[in-house]
Amino acid sequence: MKVFNILILSVLILLTNAKAQLKIVTTYPYIASITQEIVKDKAKVDFLAVGNLDPHFVVPKPSLAVKLRNADLLIINGAQLEIGWLPPLLDQANNAKIRPSASGFLDLSQYVRLIEKPENVSRTMGDVHPEGNPHFHLDPYNIPILSDAITTKLCKLEPENCSYYQENNKLFKSKWNEKLKQWNSALEKLKGTKVIEYHKLYDYFINRYGLVLSGAIEPLPGIPPTGKHLENLIEIIKIQNVKLIMQDVYHPLKPAQFLNQKTGIKYIVIPHDVGAVPEAKDIFSLFDEIVRRLTND
Amino acid sequence: MKKYLITALLPIFTATASELDELKKQIQQQQEIIQQLQEKLKQLQEQQEVIQQTQEKLKNVDGRDPIEKVLSNPFSQAKFVPDISLILDTSFVSRNLTDDTYRQVQIPGFNHGLFHMHDGHGHMPYNAERGFNLNYAEMYVASTVDPYFDLVGVFHLSENDFEIEEAYFKTRSLPYNLAVKGGKFYSEFGRLNKFHHHVWDFADAPLIYRAVFGEHNLLEKGAQITWLAPTPFFLMLGAEALQGDNENNFNRTGFTVNTKRDGSGDDIKISDTKKPNLYVLFIKPSFDIGNTSILTGVSYAFGKTRINHLEDENPHAFAGDTKILGFEFTAKHLLDSYRYLQLQGEYIYRKTDGSKFAYNNAGKLVIVPLEKKQGGFYVQGIYKFDQRWRVGLRYDLINKNDVIAKGKNQNLPDNLYRYSAMIDFLPSEFSRIRLQYNYDKSLFLGSERKTNHEIILQFNLAIGAHGAHGF
Repeated sequence: MKVFNILILSVLILLTNAKAQLKIVTTYPYIASITQEIVKDKAKVDFLAVGNLDPHFVVPKPSLAVKLRNADLLIINGAQLEIGWLPPLLDQANNAKIRPSASGFLDLSQYVRLIEKPENVSRTMGDVHPEGNPHFHLDPYNIPILSDAITTKLCKLEPENCSYYQENNKLFKSKWNEKLKQWNSALEKLKGTKVIEYHKLYDYFINRYGLVLSGAIEPLPGIPPTGKHLENLIEIIKIQNVKLIMQDVYHPLKPAQFLNQKTGIKYIVIPHDVGAVPEAKDIFSLFDEIVRRLTND
Repeated sequence: MKKYLITALLPIFTATASELDELKKQIQQQQEIIQQLQEKLKQLQEQQEVIQQTQEKLKNVDGRDPIEKVLSNPFSQAKFVPDISLILDTSFVSRNLTDDTYRQVQIPGFNHGLFHMHDGHGHMPYNAERGFNLNYAEMYVASTVDPYFDLVGVFHLSENDFEIEEAYFKTRSLPYNLAVKGGKFYSEFGRLNKFHHHVWDFADAPLIYRAVFGEHNLLEKGAQITWLAPTPFFLMLGAEALQGDNENNFNRTGFTVNTKRDGSGDDIKISDTKKPNLYVLFIKPSFDIGNTSILTGVSYAFGKTRINHLEDENPHAFAGDTKILGFEFTAKHLLDSYRYLQLQGEYIYRKTDGSKFAYNNAGKLVIVPLEKKQGGFYVQGIYKFDQRWRVGLRYDLINKNDVIAKGKNQNLPDNLYRYSAMIDFLPSEFSRIRLQYNYDKSLFLGSERKTNHEIILQFNLAIGAHGAHGF
């Protein structure tokens, strides 16, 4: 009986300890990094998808359901980027707190202006996102908007720590604005450069810095390139004088290498998330690295 | 004096002249602006006229006042339409066994052939005939009911049949990581059992599944509770109480058997089983080692058995109980975003105990104690070597087939095996074309083993909104 009492007591202590710190799970590492800047040591932040794999195709392994099981807050990218893998995990996690529409759920896509929202959708368009392009975090001007949204949510959940979070957010944003100046002046010289990307991943970045998108290696979102499509791209590269292929880390490099051989076009592997390359350790170094790679002649 | 006046006025005059120039300029500019504005106005007027004309026209066509044709649809619920999808599975089959032979062959000691029916009801096996097969068109409807429940309906439509394959609710907001499911659904027993045919890695079920559960796996009415334990690794525990419809193992309806085959003797009544009749328990741990995810599990199903084949040509029946034990192991190793290696295997063991009712040559009822201890496994490896291509190999073996009647082993074949190989091409996430070859040594006609070579070309396509699949 005594042993039993001790057991119950220790379980209770474990439970109360578990309650002490807010547990935040984000779908992608970049969201975890921004969140970490705001909560510092006041909450535990974890993420589900690794940064060096395709964000659309995350394997819903049971170990991810374990992370969701105890979470108090789930922050997702949204705009259907997680549609192929998060729903079965939420279903498995049996955690009512973080279901969409529950108080412990935040969809960041609701706070930014999405581009490329198609007026009509059909599966003949490939893996198209009906709500618009979901890769909005690669416009650095969107990051403070996201950090504001996260801070507001945190204040709702923990009013007692609100001023702390707001203070951290203010610091984060001022540091970010300093960085923006650096990045803006470094990227000035790329204005008007014609580029090709593998997937429509960098469109927000391209728009922000005045690059010109001339095509994509994928003929349709989610569909790998055919020989014919690459032939067309060679024509486009030659006629439009396209200067650069923005290659992501998770798609095969072969098509970019092929185009490079045929036309001499340069290709640069650009990280898209924290952890995509070893240098991208957090949200700051992610953009530092993007800018470094693009401007490193 | 005059001269003075002139000299005095001169600066004023010149000043006025320069101001005049300035004014002229300004007037000119303003005139230009006025002109521009007039042009704009004209354009706008013209546009307005066009709009008015169009409105006029519309009014004439419609014959109603604009006030009456306000586009209002206040009771539309279009935004609440659930996810609806249709999944088609159609195949072309080439098989060395004739359709006639294929209809008669059996897996000895397990069931009465792949086409066995009860009261005209039963399941045709997938890819039943040589040539073209329409395996099914499956309708899937799912949505959130309210903050508390999700609802899923899966309607299995074959050419002439409608079947509610699954229809269940699942809770969304229970505390302590609990969830309850109720309705008709695939049991969580084992690994493959809960998955629908369209996500299987091969065009057909493993041999041991076909032999033990029949063509549609363990699909039952009942309730399920699952709990995700607060362990640092994944640990799911669950229990199910099910009605016990699976006619291979648990059929719950009793029967009346006469002591004489011609019905002239006394009736012996075997009652229905208790209902619910089938209980399933399962425990499934999972953990990661680097890029490899491992899922294992043990499942246990037990219930009473009532098998009524009294209307058959060779009438017989069985009453007793059945226990089924299942072990599963899955390892998935990610090579990158699009390529993986997956190894999956299951061992299933069944023990049935009871009395068999049959007639001897004199037409007299004989009741003998019957015990079955049967087991087998499958192991399969899948290699996704490209974003759109996968290959797979599967080995099936039933290596325990002890059927003991009256204490005497019937010495049924216990080396029932099959090799399968498949390659599938995925043009997109919504379509799959698969070519599969089976070398099947599990089928018998009487006591004669019938080797079955089978080639299946399968097309599986989905339209509409269909939820993502789990691990």
